[in-house]
Amino acid sequence: MEILEKKRRVFVLGGGISKFAAERADGNMRDWINEAVLEALDDAGVRIEDIEHSTTSYFSDHFDKQLKAGAIFHDNIGMCPKPNVRVEGGGATGGLAIRNAYAYIMSGLCDSMIVFGAENMGRQVPSDVAQQFIALASDTDWEVQVAGFYIAYYAMMMVAHMEKYGTKEEQFAMVSVKNHRNAMYNPKAHYPMDITVEDVMNSRMITYPYKLLDNCLLSDGAACLIFATEEWARKHSTNWERKPTIEMTGTGCGTDFMRMADRPFPYPGITHFRGKRVAAQQAYRMAGVKNPLEDFDCFEVHDAYSGVELVSYEDLGFCKEGESGKLMEKGVFDLGGELPTNTSGGLIGFGHPVGATGIAQGVEVLRQLRGEAHPKRQVELNAKRGGMDSHGGTGTFCVVNIFERRD
Amino acid sequence: MSMGLELVSNLLEVFTAEDPMPFDHPEGDPWADFREIMRIEWKMEFSYRHVLGKYSKFFIELANKRFLATECKNCGKVWAIPRPLCADCLSITRWKELPGTGVLESFSVSYFVPAFMKVETPYVLAMVRLDGADTLFTHQLRNFGESTDSIRVGMPVKVAYATEPVSHPMLLMWFEPA
Repeated sequence: MEILEKKRRVFVLGGGISKFAAERADGNMRDWINEAVLEALDDAGVRIEDIEHSTTSYFSDHFDKQLKAGAIFHDNIGMCPKPNVRVEGGGATGGLAIRNAYAYIMSGLCDSMIVFGAENMGRQVPSDVAQQFIALASDTDWEVQVAGFYIAYYAMMMVAHMEKYGTKEEQFAMVSVKNHRNAMYNPKAHYPMDITVEDVMNSRMITYPYKLLDNCLLSDGAACLIFATEEWARKHSTNWERKPTIEMTGTGCGTDFMRMADRPFPYPGITHFRGKRVAAQQAYRMAGVKNPLEDFDCFEVHDAYSGVELVSYEDLGFCKEGESGKLMEKGVFDLGGELPTNTSGGLIGFGHPVGATGIAQGVEVLRQLRGEAHPKRQVELNAKRGGMDSHGGTGTFCVVNIFERRD
Repeated sequence: MSMGLELVSNLLEVFTAEDPMPFDHPEGDPWADFREIMRIEWKMEFSYRHVLGKYSKFFIELANKRFLATECKNCGKVWAIPRPLCADCLSITRWKELPGTGVLESFSVSYFVPAFMKVETPYVLAMVRLDGADTLFTHQLRNFGESTDSIRVGMPVKVAYATEPVSHPMLLMWFEPA
């Protein structure tokens, strides 16, 4: 069902991110969207009046108490009366929004699309109420009522992974160390920090086996990307000739049962993300990726909890099932390693304003492929291809998108 | 604070916010005119008359200390968390009583819980492979003894039933070591 014979091509013209922080009380979601959009327009060298369509990305109607917020974002940036659509897939919402831009432009519904996303996760409600809102994204009749919430679900997955493969707590603690460290070179990051595996291991136990520093935080923030066809870009972008050309060459989407309890054994059981494997296979086939470790220069991987990043490596095909911990120890995914992951800092270091997160991953890959990242986090460009993995629920929604540089 | 603001009963604070990215704005804060911020309290309370759908019988029978799953009339798959339509073959299922015994497939130990969930910490969330079922079932593991150290993947567990009043029908049951 993937588009293999491409009649049209989709290019990434620019991106913008508002500062991610625990609480952006200097504004609200509308203000952060404005910031991200202004930066993206400037980066793309385009004018809003020329853009034909927008996609809104946010996850929760509870955090901001504003239904139909997309209409507000869209009119705030002067897009009326042009079309807008909202997409939603929990933590994968941003990835779905990018995929949506690809689909709309590929189909010919439009030649240009601005994608913006944000989440007001911060401190307008206490942290435990925020956890309640997020828990509402699991089955409210069967899981929430038994005191199920996301850290606990993912903890059960990780206990099963440890049991099955011998994965160690220190191995996923290394993910947290790496991502907090990478965030130190990202001025927009929420949680940059130079820490050790011991710091993670000694941080407060939230839900065994996850300690405080294994978890991402609740962040406020917004992100924006602008997509278009080459013909449109040549006509409307003053930066088309000035900046390296970045094309979106692959997208995949997969799902799994809402409740982990219903998923089939042995695969994915409760140890793997089946939807992610499906998404990756679709996206890799479209982009002609054979060996992800060689064919990508960087990859933003969903790391809401440190162990999720390890499991994702396996389902993204970076290694065999159960081998991610050992590769982590070898430094394969560190800056300077074979495939640097979460160079932005990921959800753990950069932050996780849900609706913005997947789009921010795309902005990071765009910056990396152009060679514009901070020198300390800029990757070496060989394959000139970067990937991103956007993920919601307990792997309920998974989206993999691929950008490539065309020289 | 400006005179007149005391008229606003839900006012929490008025403050001056800082530019979160000052180093990005060497030519000055572009939003300098918009740094005065007001925060108010906004309270919303709802109560729902919630319908538990076609799996309501599961909860009704829990009160009779019976654990019901659903079995597909076509492919025979037994869904431990009941569903009226088999998600594998889209055939309508039927109720099937299970003995309520099984083994622990995985668990987690939480030292934090969202406050609306009335459980004492630490508490154990468990996924259980029930005898006679083809899928897992998620609930709390209670009465595991002095320490969570005794909890092991693969240990036999059983469904236990409430005798005290509960706040939700799902809490009429839990798991404990068999």
